Amino acid sequence: MALDSAKKSELLKKLEQGVVEFEDDEVRDAAQEWVDSGEDTYDAIFDGLVAGMEEVGRLFSAQEYFVPEMLMAADSLYIGLDILKPHMVARDSGVKGTVVIGTVQGDVHDIGKNIVKMMFDVAGFNVYDLGRDVALEDFLKKQLETNSDIVCLSAMMTTTMMGMPKVIEMIKEKNPNCRIMIGGAPITDDIVGKFGADATAKDASNALEEAVKMVVSLREIQKEANAKN
Amino acid sequence: MTQATMTARERVLRTLKGEKVTPVPCFSGVGNVTTKGLEKLGYRFADLHNNAQMMAEAAMTTWELFGYECVVIPFDLCMEAEALGCVMNPYAETQELLYPTIKEKSKLTTEQLRQAATPELLQRGRIPLVIEAARIVREKVGDQVAIGSYVLGPFTLGGQISELETLLKGSLKKPDDMIDYLDAMADVIVLVGNHLLRNGIDYISVREMGATSDVLSPRVFKKVIFPALKKVADNLASPNILHICGSVLPVIDMMAECGYSALSIDSKTPMKEAREKVGERTVILGNFNPFATLNTGTAEDAYNVAAQCVRDGVNGVHPGCDIWPTAKPENLEAMIRAVRETSV
Ligand code: B12
Repeated sequence: MALDSAKKSELLKKLEQGVVEFEDDEVRDAAQEWVDSGEDTYDAIFDGLVAGMEEVGRLFSAQEYFVPEMLMAADSLYIGLDILKPHMVARDSGVKGTVVIGTVQGDVHDIGKNIVKMMFDVAGFNVYDLGRDVALEDFLKKQLETNSDIVCLSAMMTTTMMGMPKVIEMIKEKNPNCRIMIGGAPITDDIVGKFGADATAKDASNALEEAVKMVVSLREIQKEANAKN
Repeated sequence: MTQATMTARERVLRTLKGEKVTPVPCFSGVGNVTTKGLEKLGYRFADLHNNAQMMAEAAMTTWELFGYECVVIPFDLCMEAEALGCVMNPYAETQELLYPTIKEKSKLTTEQLRQAATPELLQRGRIPLVIEAARIVREKVGDQVAIGSYVLGPFTLGGQISELETLLKGSLKKPDDMIDYLDAMADVIVLVGNHLLRNGIDYISVREMGATSDVLSPRVFKKVIFPALKKVADNLASPNILHICGSVLPVIDMMAECGYSALSIDSKTPMKEAREKVGERTVILGNFNPFATLNTGTAEDAYNVAAQCVRDGVNGVHPGCDIWPTAKPENLEAMIRAVRETSV
């Protein structure tokens, strides 16, 4: 049974609002209803859940939302994603990649890293989360094992940040094509260059923006693919 | 006694009592060991945490080398968590200087915390070791300089023994359970804090950085964090300092209302506005960014930053967080000189 457009926009609204207001049940019901209709779930994820998370990002930047609100919204988003993702028709977009992410050795600050990780999950990336206080060699091991496109390193302290260039060197030596993104409060554009990394996203809102940009580019490619059909 | 003949210890303790001291003291309630000090002793950072003698000697170096007006022990945030059954990682094998972390969390429940809050707790983990270190320091410095220590605030300590993420979400999802949990945690903190103050520690900081306004909304702070912080203040002996880094302007009135001897703020909280909000009666320590001022900046920068803190009206020049060991000696010297020359 296909969804008519009125029903579709009703469910999208529910998914979006559900994430913004962390109404787990609302998200769960709307996602289930969408799946039951047999319709492709791509729009539900991007125009529903992700649209909600974009709004959460905006509220966070505006200091109306704080970290707990962000974490709660992320939980709601994951509830929807778990239901919808298995029913998404794979897009041959080429954007979907594999990411290894973790907080470097000696550093237990992982809240920011978890938020970044969520963004990759949403964008449909294959994410391997190594957690926090990760031994430097473990990043290389996991990269080689998964042949990931990107390795993301997080550090919140000026001391632990110094582990990053070591990881970057190890990985670039074995796998020069692997892209490395670093982030966390002490990371600046200057440091990205100095450490030989490929990119960073500055703070909470910038990290979100970067992630949203990825999603937007996903959408564009999807639109192009649709236009061709 | 004239101000000129006052010891560093008196200057700090009088400041914490709300007396005006000139020049204002330049000290910290949180970690301040330097690589310079460690080099002098030939010690490795990782070896200090489990050895009272080395901890004491290392803690004294910033006072001995630079005239920084305090000796603060320990250097990490794991002492209470260990007493509550967690396991700490001192990174004994790594060459780099890393701060200890909790590698195994005990995840005690509210009920278990209530049961743990007995004097027996005070014999567990490194609490006796820190007290032994305080004794060694006192033997060496006598009444010349005040010995400081710290405990974590209820929410931040909760994050050490459990997952901070769970607590953050709990503060919204189940505020009443969280209030209860933090209430139990407050008893533990008071127990440990009073024990330290009774056994050689002159002043104590309560570090509640997990509840900074960069992370938690003022609304949640008021409802969930404030009652526990107030309970700690009501039951903890003096002098005590409430230290929250990051930006706290939205909650500084509540911090003041708790009733600690002093508040300590970070560079992310503008001093003048903080003062406007809480008035002259509250002792405020602050508010320079230790890393930018002492590690990356020049000695001249350090001088200017410290002088600005004085002009902004702090009662003591105090860093927004631990001083990072690699702080440049010339910057520390410039900071201390700036305070003497500006605060007249
Ligand atoms: C919460 C906190 C803690 C908690 C951490 C709990 C946890 N599970 O994460 C606890 C209490 C355990 C803690 C401990 C310590 N902390 Co602390 N902590 C903080 C605090 C208050 C908030 C950090 C946070 O979560 N922010 C919220 C998140 C959402 O933001 P974020 O982490 O910046 O992440 C965003 C961006 O940076 C970016 N990002 C992050 N990672 C990545 C990765 C990539 C690839 C990209 C692209 C982007 C990106 O996107 C994220 C999402 O928006 C900060 C101060 C502050 N106000 O920031 C201090 C702070 C980080 N801590 C500090 C210190 C000193 C410590 C201790 C050493 C104290 C001590 N004496 O032991 C210990 C260290 C223990 C250790 N070895 O790790 C200092 C670091 C100073 C420095 N310049 O090095 C800070 C800056 C405080 C200060 N004012 O000085 N801390």
